[in-house]
Amino acid sequence: MKFGILLLLVLALACALGSFIPQGHTLDWYLQNYTERQAALIYGLALDDVFHSVWFLVLAVILCCNLLLCNLLHLPGLLARWKQAGDPEKAPNAAACEAPNQAQPEQIFEKLHMPAPKRIEADGKTSLFSVKNRLGLWGAWVCHLGILLLVIGFTLGQTTTEEYTVYGVPGQTKPVGDTDYTLTIDDFGVEFSESGGVQQYTAQLTMRDTRTGEQQSDSAAVNAPGNLFGYRVYQNSTGTAAKLTVTMDGKLMQEEVVCVGDYTYVLQTPLMIYLDGYQEDYFEQRPGYAYSTYYMGQADQGGVQVDGDIALRYGSVEISFSEPQDYTLLQVKADHYAWLVLVGGVILLLGLFLAFYLPTRRVWAEQQSDGSWTVYGESRKGGALFAEQFREAAGLPDPRQTMSAPPEASGENNETESR
Amino acid sequence: MLQAENVLFTITILLYVAAMVFYFLFIAVKKESFAKIATLIQLVGLVLHTVALICRGIGAGRLPLTNQYEFATSFAWGLSLVSLIFLWRFKFPVLGAFAAPVIILIIGYAALQSREVRELMPSLRSSWLGIHVSTAIIAYGAFGVSFVLGFIFLMREKMQNSAFWDSHVPAREKLDVIGYRSVCLGLLFLSFTMITGAIWAEQAWGSYWSWDPKETWSLVTWLVYAIYLHMRLRRGWKGRAAAIFAVVGFICVIFTYIGVNTFLPGIHSYA
Repeated sequence: MKFGILLLLVLALACALGSFIPQGHTLDWYLQNYTERQAALIYGLALDDVFHSVWFLVLAVILCCNLLLCNLLHLPGLLARWKQAGDPEKAPNAAACEAPNQAQPEQIFEKLHMPAPKRIEADGKTSLFSVKNRLGLWGAWVCHLGILLLVIGFTLGQTTTEEYTVYGVPGQTKPVGDTDYTLTIDDFGVEFSESGGVQQYTAQLTMRDTRTGEQQSDSAAVNAPGNLFGYRVYQNSTGTAAKLTVTMDGKLMQEEVVCVGDYTYVLQTPLMIYLDGYQEDYFEQRPGYAYSTYYMGQADQGGVQVDGDIALRYGSVEISFSEPQDYTLLQVKADHYAWLVLVGGVILLLGLFLAFYLPTRRVWAEQQSDGSWTVYGESRKGGALFAEQFREAAGLPDPRQTMSAPPEASGENNETESR
Repeated sequence: MLQAENVLFTITILLYVAAMVFYFLFIAVKKESFAKIATLIQLVGLVLHTVALICRGIGAGRLPLTNQYEFATSFAWGLSLVSLIFLWRFKFPVLGAFAAPVIILIIGYAALQSREVRELMPSLRSSWLGIHVSTAIIAYGAFGVSFVLGFIFLMREKMQNSAFWDSHVPAREKLDVIGYRSVCLGLLFLSFTMITGAIWAEQAWGSYWSWDPKETWSLVTWLVYAIYLHMRLRRGWKGRAAAIFAVVGFICVIFTYIGVNTFLPGIHSYA
């Protein structure tokens, strides 16, 4: 247990550290923003990428082992306690509250909302026994199981997830990474609200298996990813694309759609052109395309071409941009263990509910030789509150009226003892 | 509607301040009638606060849970609600006296934020918004109450020979269990918040967990309260130690809410 608590503490500290130290920068960045020694420490201990570091993974594995061992080791004891909680013969060993000289014990059971007590006749003695919320005993165990599945699912997902980025304009078909699938963007639209704000981005998509020719279609929008061949397709981002036209002596040589941020080789020239940006109302209500060119890999020139003009000439080659349109950036992903994380999360919630809101309670009564009853009660987590309820149900005086009991003397202590 | 919300928000603050004054009078003068008036004022404040939030929701045409102002006022609403439930359930108005200043601090923080109604970005247009944020409000409210109870526990120790504290504040062992109950409520709802948030993030961002500072600090807060429960259940860490831990836990909650937005911006920067 000590080790488990220490592990939780180390994980909390590691997470805090990972949030305070900016993640994923280069060594140069850390050298600029920290002292040389600090930067060396950050890089040396992989604090630049805490959540994907080996030591963090090791912590996750240790946590899994700890949870697994904890659950396995506690299972026999838990099963014994489960049996014991329903066994009237074991009850007298765990009394936390006692109300002697009761004439109608059934009323106490009723006031404490206990199930109707079982009447037991043994060795000439009569007793009553009732147990409630035995399932609550399993709360912590179920919680641990949920966390275990969640961490396993997350760790496996992190290491096995397939993730690709595809972007383009309607009509384009692009390969999905190195898979056997292609993705065709059938349509892409942006919905605007009355005030002009963007409400939704929606792409209509068709994915094709190039091995079998089979294809599936679906739409992908923000908060509503598409499902194609086991991949989730997310509408991730959007931007502007334009038609790049290259002519030589007036004859069309090249025509293709390029997105802002794309590098494109210009045929018939040693040039590469990069579309830097786009402005809708750049000059005299005409759009402008910012571009840069690279000659033999070296930055050459740049400028802004107004819609309808020629961007640049290279000998008899004319290069221009036109027909601005929206492109969509899609994320294609297959996380084969996300379901395990979800199952783990649901089990965790169930475990917490069992642990916190179904406290096991036992109430039993024994008939004395004079015909009166002594009623006993025990609650695993009710503690002082259950003791108070029991006292009220039995009509016993409040001990605070007479003396103040130290915390250790309260029924709450059973919580630890019974575990 | 938004004008009505402005007026109601101001009245709510004044009512919470009035409730605090009456709670303090109850402690100073030791007359229970002041406590009853204070609770009644807080209840009226909570009702008007609810109406203010509804007005904002109608005026904005969406759930009022999407920016710093809206979450702060909802956080104060959650704390007010949970504190009144605990006050009603466990019948000790001193809880209200200690909760009221915290509520006023949070709603005061809300008052300092921009109240402009902005159109939602597409990723926030989801039915998960209501579930995710409303569970966070209950979780934060419950942790706020555990903080207040921890504080009362520590005060109770100092006031051992006070007849007023003996008669109006539960015994330490009972305070300890009530504090534990509020942490349980908070942790259950925080877990629910994190799980619903993960489901939503998967749909909106394509990743159910991306170690964003808000996510990371929610996890840190969850781990801190998990440590609290383990220490309590296995190591017998109750009473004073648990009360101090509840106070520290709430500092993590506040850092997750305000500190992360101020010092560690990420994809949750609007919340």
